[in-house]
Amino acid sequence: MSERAPARANLTGGGLARRVIRRVGARWGARLGLAWIGALAALAVASPLIANSHPFLMRVDGSWSSPWLAHLRPQDVALFASAAAAAVILPLGRFGLGARLVALAGVSALASILAVTLVTPPEAVVYSRYREMAEAGKIEAAYRAPVPYSPADNLRDQSGVRLEPPSLAHPMGTVSDGADLFAHMIYGTRIALSIGFVATGIAVLIGILIGGAMGYFAGLLDLFGMRLVEIFKSVPPLYLMLIFVAAFEANLYMLMVIIGLTSWGEHALFLRGEFLRLRHQDFVSAARASGLPLRSVLFRHMLPNGIAPVLVTASFGVANAVLAESVLSFLQIGLVEVKSWGKLLSEALGVGGTFYWWIALYPGLAIFLTVFSYVLVGEALRDALDPRIGAGE
Amino acid sequence: MDETPLLSIEDLAVSFPPDDDGADRVRAVNGVDLAVYPRQTLAVVGESGSGKSVTALSVLRLLDAPPARYDAGSIELRSPDGGGSEDLLAVPEKRLRSVRGDDMAMIFQEPMTSLNPVYTVGEQILEAIRLHRSVPRREALALARRALGDVGIADPEARLRAYPHQLSGGMRQRVMIAMALACRPRLLIADEPTTALDVTIEAQILELLSRLQHEQGMAVVLITHDLGVVAQNADAVAVMYAGRVVECGSVPAVFARPMHPYTQGLFAAMPVIGRTTRRLATIPGGVPSPSRLPPGCPFHPRCHAMEGDPQCRDAHPPLREVGDAHWAACWHAPGHEAAPATIPRVAHRRERAAPARGPS
Repeated sequence: MSERAPARANLTGGGLARRVIRRVGARWGARLGLAWIGALAALAVASPLIANSHPFLMRVDGSWSSPWLAHLRPQDVALFASAAAAAVILPLGRFGLGARLVALAGVSALASILAVTLVTPPEAVVYSRYREMAEAGKIEAAYRAPVPYSPADNLRDQSGVRLEPPSLAHPMGTVSDGADLFAHMIYGTRIALSIGFVATGIAVLIGILIGGAMGYFAGLLDLFGMRLVEIFKSVPPLYLMLIFVAAFEANLYMLMVIIGLTSWGEHALFLRGEFLRLRHQDFVSAARASGLPLRSVLFRHMLPNGIAPVLVTASFGVANAVLAESVLSFLQIGLVEVKSWGKLLSEALGVGGTFYWWIALYPGLAIFLTVFSYVLVGEALRDALDPRIGAGE
Repeated sequence: MDETPLLSIEDLAVSFPPDDDGADRVRAVNGVDLAVYPRQTLAVVGESGSGKSVTALSVLRLLDAPPARYDAGSIELRSPDGGGSEDLLAVPEKRLRSVRGDDMAMIFQEPMTSLNPVYTVGEQILEAIRLHRSVPRREALALARRALGDVGIADPEARLRAYPHQLSGGMRQRVMIAMALACRPRLLIADEPTTALDVTIEAQILELLSRLQHEQGMAVVLITHDLGVVAQNADAVAVMYAGRVVECGSVPAVFARPMHPYTQGLFAAMPVIGRTTRRLATIPGGVPSPSRLPPGCPFHPRCHAMEGDPQCRDAHPPLREVGDAHWAACWHAPGHEAAPATIPRVAHRRERAAPARGPS
């Protein structure tokens, strides 16, 4: 029967998720993109293990201690816990994917709350302490991270380390305050990933709520909703972001919210179109006729059938969000307290027009590769969901 | 005939916003009276656009309102204990949700699209059951398995895990029926349940509906445009034209002597086995658009019995009791002049032998 069924029925059928994953995975571009994003995710979790001024273990006066453990920050602990939970929960094939994701989100949220309340690293950190101790010969043995510098370690105790080109000690060179560029790059993966996913998540959530309501209720609500979308889409997003940043304090979370608030229009349009098509399908009438509340009709029955185009725009949205953050940071109006790749990039042009090539190359390359990866995955996803492409398989 | 109907629709009028070139709201249904008794099958017959589906959707209040509007009338559903009744057009949305699927269920025309493609059959039946019955999952699963077995699906255990696209059209319609009947509703509305199926499957599905109706003692409103289906399955029949009931009565009465020229035209258009004709008879003209109904009797421009009678052009004929369990709305129907204008109530049920529970 299945091979006689129309293509549409097949496409939206139960094997859809598996089929899409297989078709995305069949493209080498998408595989490279996913590999790069996966590597970034691994780096983001493992940042404190890779670049850290604090030794993992050291022996002073015959007793072992772990400054690394003592200086672990709440976000590091929360990330470790979430990654460990993911490694345990996700392979449990016995439960549905949705249930596993919900469980993972719950564990992550719990870990974050516990980490913020329980983990209290020392506030004042003197990074030069270890180097001074080593010079004084106090450290008898130490195990250090592969890159023994934290991004906040300005190397104040050393002279002539500011804006140094790549060398053996600093494989990617140093930035204006003397910190190691490689350490900054590693920790920057966290911002690059989180800003993309959280900002897009906010945009998709708003888009689903507004677009879904527009498509389902149609009529006047649709009329006003469309005007709202047009207003947001007709204002250039960069200007809108500049206005928001000027009005509010620009920290990482604010930036995520701002990018999310300015980019939901596309998602809303796509979901509206899908819902307009779906609302008159018999299975929606059947769901209503069986007495389901509106909430279930909308989110259980219509949303899974109409979400595909939104997922595709979302993957491009992630790329746009990374780019938007870089642009804002490059214009010196983005993040102040943490250095994202865009912020680093803005330091490549020094006072008086000096060009520091290594500060331009590495962050620029990282931004390019990341955005490129998201676009590759997005394109593969779009083609995999399009019944006209590869329909002959 | 002192029995109370399970569901009675009285003077129902439903309108939609005007077309681009119209000024008034369009009456899709205009003063419909229908009644269904427990364990009865009422067939509603009519062409596309006659208002039969709008009437059916109105019963569960499934029309989007706005744009649709219930202008007049009531839809009374008798309470399960037999005492009072409630007007479904007046009850709040929350009460309506508990009526839908529990007291009344509906199955739709197109089995290809009336199951959600992203969930398995089992998930969809379980959802329908657990919505109205607070039973543990294990018990609900047993109910779902039994519901699938009841509609003659072999190996229900495996089918529970199947997705709709893995099933044939007839199988899907069986699943739809199983879902609709999982909570044992008192009334089932079937909106052309077999139109999209081929003839052998159609016969099986109708036989199945008739068997389940007998076993569960529910009433069925069968919407169809096939008089053959009516003859074989229904107890009472209502013929609709341009948003009104033009003739109704018990199936034997109407089939023995159709009185309205429209009904007569429908019968004349049916092929009869054993009679050779070059060409089947047709009713001249087409169904008028609800936005530009002719004045007077809406059927008069196509009517062969009118013969230039000005009354047909000027006044709408009321539905009158022209015979025993037989109502017609035509000035020229025999005995219409003298007949009382009563509200049609047909409690007739056909005699039936318990159908054999064979593999269907």
